[in-house]
Amino acid sequence: MENTIEVNGLRKVFGQNEAIKQVSFNVEKGEIFGLLGPSGSGKTTTIKILTGELGQTTGDVTVLGMDSKQFGTSGFKSKIGILSDNSSLYERLTVYDNLKLFCKLYNAPLTEIDVILKEVNLEEERTKTVSKLSKGMKQRVLLAKALIHKPELVFLDEPTSALDPANMAQIHRGLQRLNEAGTTIFLTTHNMEEATVLCDRVAFLHNGEIQEMDSPDTLRYKYSTHAFHVETFDGDKLVIENNRDNADQIRDLIANGSVKAINTDNPTLGQIFLKITGKELV
Amino acid sequence: MNAKRIIAIFEKDMKDFLKNMMLLTMPLLPVVLALIYERMGNELPISLIYLIVGVTFSAVTSSVMMTMMAEENEKKTLRGLILSPASFLDIIIGKSLVTGLITFISLIVSLMIVGIGPFLDFRVIIGLILLFLFFLLLGIGIGLFSKSIAATSAYLMPLMFLFGFTPMIYSLGLSEDSMAIAIADTFPLMQAIEAHETSSWSPTGIVALWVMGAAIFMYICFKKTTTDD
Repeated sequence: MENTIEVNGLRKVFGQNEAIKQVSFNVEKGEIFGLLGPSGSGKTTTIKILTGELGQTTGDVTVLGMDSKQFGTSGFKSKIGILSDNSSLYERLTVYDNLKLFCKLYNAPLTEIDVILKEVNLEEERTKTVSKLSKGMKQRVLLAKALIHKPELVFLDEPTSALDPANMAQIHRGLQRLNEAGTTIFLTTHNMEEATVLCDRVAFLHNGEIQEMDSPDTLRYKYSTHAFHVETFDGDKLVIENNRDNADQIRDLIANGSVKAINTDNPTLGQIFLKITGKELV
Repeated sequence: MNAKRIIAIFEKDMKDFLKNMMLLTMPLLPVVLALIYERMGNELPISLIYLIVGVTFSAVTSSVMMTMMAEENEKKTLRGLILSPASFLDIIIGKSLVTGLITFISLIVSLMIVGIGPFLDFRVIIGLILLFLFFLLLGIGIGLFSKSIAATSAYLMPLMFLFGFTPMIYSLGLSEDSMAIAIADTFPLMQAIEAHETSSWSPTGIVALWVMGAAIFMYICFKKTTTDD
């Protein structure tokens, strides 16, 4: 499989502070890759290096087949979309005028504006001045701005941080459609549910190092105790180890009709992160 | 350089400018000054006419440019332009067009009020273009350097007094051979007056050197804003 991003031995030092320590990972073409970690773990620094906003101290970074020296070229910039803490809008202009500017800068057809506004559920706000929008609406306009030119690779730094659940779900569906159309997505998030729903693979970044990297399902299975949690109609809560010796016990409970609920104990990504690093993902 | 991108930035800036009351009033300053001078009745000395030119370039060109750049920088919208396929020149030229247009209108109206005749000369026009470029590049550089709109006011006043009102130094009662006068005489506005009053091209060359200095300052400031390093 072709890699869209290749990072080998990436290190970034700010003065005495080593923000990124020998990080290596690849992102495959067409993948949704999530970089998860608490504030200060190095997520934004990593995105900034991958987009050319920061230079690395050492290590090799290749994005879309180009090395970091080519990140300033218009050829590179026209192929990527970015939504980060450095993204902003012209507050005195309308939603349409903001998107029109970026359509023209990226040489995208103006007809894309209405398509993307529908995607982010902002059709009715088309002629509204940006300063009059709510924080969540502005976040959706920023997302539209990042996607309007149909980039090959999108960097999303906390894309749904200011959104309500309904809009978040709509954005997730939009990102999944974008991904199905072939766009590679690199995202950072604190929202573990979002990472579980969206990401093909996730990497846990802590203290500038990747602690764990795999698909959410694989990680959840890996850190599971593999036990069944059974709740009976009598109110009993049983924890039954997942092994052959317990098969009869589970079968009998089901045969007796006493099982009210049965679940595995696969942990959430947040619980796994806590287990690995001892820190909450906030 | 890409004309489509330059025009896109120009269109955006023009819409933004027309909704910005603070910037909209700036081009009126030299016009008001010209009206006051015109009411004096007598033929104005060339240094006084160049004071209107200095006010136009400092209070309109530099001030509007530095406010626009500082706002882009402060609100992080400049990063959006830098991360787009627009090149350094696309951004700088696109952003300068609005200021250029406003300056042109303000200067022409002001000079027409006091009499545009003395400026209809090739060498004088070259001098005015160089002066415009100097104040424009200085405005961009300071706008990027100052990081916020509020901070630009701290730089605007010294810029106006040093480079915009330079001929006023003669009204301070300093001796003709004083160091301050000697230094002020090398400033762009004084060199432009010199170019106006003589047939020599060397004052124009000195203004060109000032333009180069301002261009280097602007380029360094711009490069610093392109990354977070």
